[in-house]
Order: sequence, then C-alpha cells, then structure tokens
Amino acid sequence: MTDFLQNCIDGVMFGSGYALLALGFTLVFGVMKRLNLSFGPSIMLGAYAGTWVYLNFSQNALLIVLVTVITTVAVGIYVERLCFWAVRRDAAIASMVSSFAIWMQLEEVAMHLLPERTYPFPTFFTSTVIDIGPFFVRSEHISMFLLTLVLLALLHLFLFRTRPGLALRAVSDNPLASTYMGINSSNIFFLAFAVVSVLGGLAGFLILSADSQVTPFFGLWATFKGLIAMMLGGMGSLTGAILGGLLLGVVEANAFWYGGPLIRDISAYLLLFIMLIVRPGGLVGQRIVTQQQAAYERV
Amino acid sequence: MLAVSNLTVNYGEVQAVDSISIKVKAGELVSITGANGAGKSSMLNAIAGICAVASGKIVFAGEDITGLRAHQIVKKGIVQVPEGRQLFATLTVRENLLAGRYSNSGFLLDKVIPDSLVQRFPALGERLDLLGSSLSGGQAQMLALARGLMNHPEVLLLDEPTLGLAPIAVKEVFDLIAELRDQGLTILVVEQNVRQALAISDYAYVLESGRIVMQGKGGELLNNSRLVESYLGAARAI
Repeated sequence: MTDFLQNCIDGVMFGSGYALLALGFTLVFGVMKRLNLSFGPSIMLGAYAGTWVYLNFSQNALLIVLVTVITTVAVGIYVERLCFWAVRRDAAIASMVSSFAIWMQLEEVAMHLLPERTYPFPTFFTSTVIDIGPFFVRSEHISMFLLTLVLLALLHLFLFRTRPGLALRAVSDNPLASTYMGINSSNIFFLAFAVVSVLGGLAGFLILSADSQVTPFFGLWATFKGLIAMMLGGMGSLTGAILGGLLLGVVEANAFWYGGPLIRDISAYLLLFIMLIVRPGGLVGQRIVTQQQAAYERV
Repeated sequence: MLAVSNLTVNYGEVQAVDSISIKVKAGELVSITGANGAGKSSMLNAIAGICAVASGKIVFAGEDITGLRAHQIVKKGIVQVPEGRQLFATLTVRENLLAGRYSNSGFLLDKVIPDSLVQRFPALGERLDLLGSSLSGGQAQMLALARGLMNHPEVLLLDEPTLGLAPIAVKEVFDLIAELRDQGLTILVVEQNVRQALAISDYAYVLESGRIVMQGKGGELLNNSRLVESYLGAARAI
C-alpha cells in the first residue's frame, strides 16, 4: 500500500506536467474546434533553442527560460498563421493535416540546429530527496508541481478576470454571438495560440529540466502525452485536462513500479482504450457535452 | 443618423436584398416587416457587418461604414441583438452581460453590472450568477436585449425580438422597445409580428423578395388596405 501511495505521489507530481500539455491542446481545441498537432514539436523547438543558447552562450537560467518560451511562442504563431488562419474557412481537417506537415518541418529545423541525437537540458532544480513520513519526494518534482499550480492559478485569473479571457471563453462557447458582441475572432484565435505557447514553453522547460535531457522525439512525446491526457479528461474541458494529466501520471508511475518501463508506456494507451470504451467523453467531458447540448437547446 | 442606399446582399447566386434604401433618424423607431425570406435579417446583418455587402452604401452619423467588419461597427455604436438570442450558454448571466460591454471594457474585468440595468431587468438581477442556459425563453430574450444595451449603443438593431415567445413575454418585449425609444434610443427592428411592430413604430418598411414594397408611418400602414389584406388578414383570422 505504501508503494502504491508513493507511486501516486510521484504520479501527481509528474502528471502536473502532462496537465499543462493537455491544457495547451484543450485551449486551442476549445476555442477553434481544431486540433493542433504541431503543439508538441513547437515546444521541442523552443527547448532546442534554449539548449542551443545554453551550449553556446550562457547558462543563465532566466535567459534560457525566456529563449525557450519566446521561441515556442514564435513557432506557435507561425503554426497559427499557416495551419489555422490561412485555412480558417476550410474544414477542420485542413488544420490538422497541415499542422502535421509543419511538425515534420519543425523536427528538421531542430535537427539542423543541434544534429546530435541527445543533448543535456540545463537542470535548474536542486535534486534532493525530502522525507515526508513514510514517503519521499524529489525536490525537482515538488518544484515542478508547485510551479504548475502557480501557472494554473494564473491561467484561471486570465480566463475569468480579464477582458481577453472572457473573449476566449465567449468565442469558445458561441463564435457567432461573439461576433455580434464586437469580438474579433481572428485576434482571439491568435491570442489563444500565444497563451497556449507560453504554457507549452514553460511546461517544456519544467519537464525537460526535471529530466535533464532533450531529444528531437520530445515533440512526439509531448504530443502523445498531451493528447492522451486531454482525451482522458474530456476534450474541451480545462478541468478535465488537469484531471486527465494527473490520472495519466498516477497510472504511469504505478505501471512503471510494478511492471517496468515497457508496461508504463503501454499503460497510457491501455488506459485511453478503456476510457474510450467505458466513458468516451472522458472524466468530465461527457457531463459537459450533455450540459452544453441541453444549454444550446434552451437558448 | 443611419442611411442605407441601394443595398444589395447576395448569398452566392441568390440575391437576398435587392437595392434597398432606408433611413433611420436619431431617436426614431423604425421597423422592417415582411414574410419569411424577404431579406429583412440579411439587411440587418449587412448593416452590422456580419454579412458582406455586394453593392450600395451604409452611412452612419455622416461616416461611410460600408464594408467595415462587425467589431469595427460595434465600436462605432451600432449593436445588433441577433435572431434566436445567441446567448453564451456556458457563461453566467453576468458574463453574458459583460460580453456585451466587451468593446468598452479595460484589461481587467469590472464585474459590476450597472444599477440602472438591474432595475430595468429585475429578473436578470436575481440570476446574475446562474448560467445563461438556465433562463426561460422570455428571460433569455430580456438577457439578449440587456446585453445589447450594455455597450450604450447609439443605434440598436433588433432581429425578431419576439420570435418564439409566449404572448405575455411578447408584450413585455414590445413595451421595453417602446420605452427605450421614448428615452431617445434609435432603434431599427425586424419583426414578423406586423401589427404590434407597426403600432409602436415611427416609420416602417415592408419587404418582399428582397425589395421594399411599401413604406410609411407605422400608424398609416396599419390602416393600409393592401397591407392589412397581405399580412394582417391572416393574423385576424387566427
């Protein structure tokens, strides 16, 4: 039992990173009803830019965070203009396919920037083990978890206490009504990408800094983890994205402890498979879908 | 205040509005009536920048606003309350109202709803923190109207404000529209409820197949035998 609880603690700590990735997918999907497959690779390229600065110029933590986030935002905006704005009047599948194509392009850029297979990613967390009764927690995981909580709180304030946050939620709810209210949807889509890219850049930094290495496959990894966590929680639900990320972290941590690394990777897909069969709308998605349908029928 | 000249709106091959010209003076209540598919809503949507203008000119307060986008037109002071209410189902009543003030709010949301609005719509005042989807049809229409007023518009465009409402709610909506006009607000209303719309209108236009077929003062049109025969006869029979 102690092992199980210890795994749950570890899973929640690391799952907070998955939650941030899932929030990135969910925000764009919620606002645009389109899937951005380039989200993971955008973060990877941001992380590569941070690593490049680390290897060639400076080991200043703040500078590397800034380079990682700014590059991720720049790439996010590039993806938005090419794969979403340019095809905004076409079917949603056009955005998904073109963002997949851009994924390949971003991986090529990363491999030209730093051609080796693996690079060290700067570790800015002090790695110590903290005992809490029968349990122990790694300090870098606590740092990542606490920073994730701060980011979630800031995101909540942005969405519920600011004018652009209200506009994001309004466009997500009813794009036509938003137009009548004088909300410029194109600007809001752009804003959604910028916000998501900031989140993604920070998430990438936190995850890689705890892992202390980066490879070109990080884009694929971030896409898989973010998408799975989003679908576990329920597509389009911010609360669901957080819960999905935490659940994925807990299941993976237990699977790793009891079955090894191969079982850990399989467990994510198995969990998704079970969720899609038992509760296709995700942890909270089903309820939201039903509520929204009822709501739209009324108004 | 608002002058539309030779406005034409097309949806692909179909001409929804065919060279229509109307005028709305400041403080006036003007209604547009006609059967389904006459082009009433298309005309309103063109004025609000929601659909494209094929030809013609829209002038507001002396400025040509033809071709401006919806958010630019809202900023100029023309606000449309759309057909079917178009509320934000997953936002609270308060947030729906705040969305109506989007063009004139600062970065941080001021969540206070003006007392004057709460007094005018007491049913909404009691439900500010409930979801927009929890309201009845009449209350939802009141919310749509209140949301339109949040931005202090110079011209309010109302698209079928009584559609699907119970008779008591219809009366409430018409009373409110007349009250807003009496307080000096300029209103252009599209309405199928011909008799009640004409009764409160200063001026009215009747549309058929995208063209104006009749126009005149509201009271005069109510006594127009052709209009009575075409639109009010059936209503009387019902």
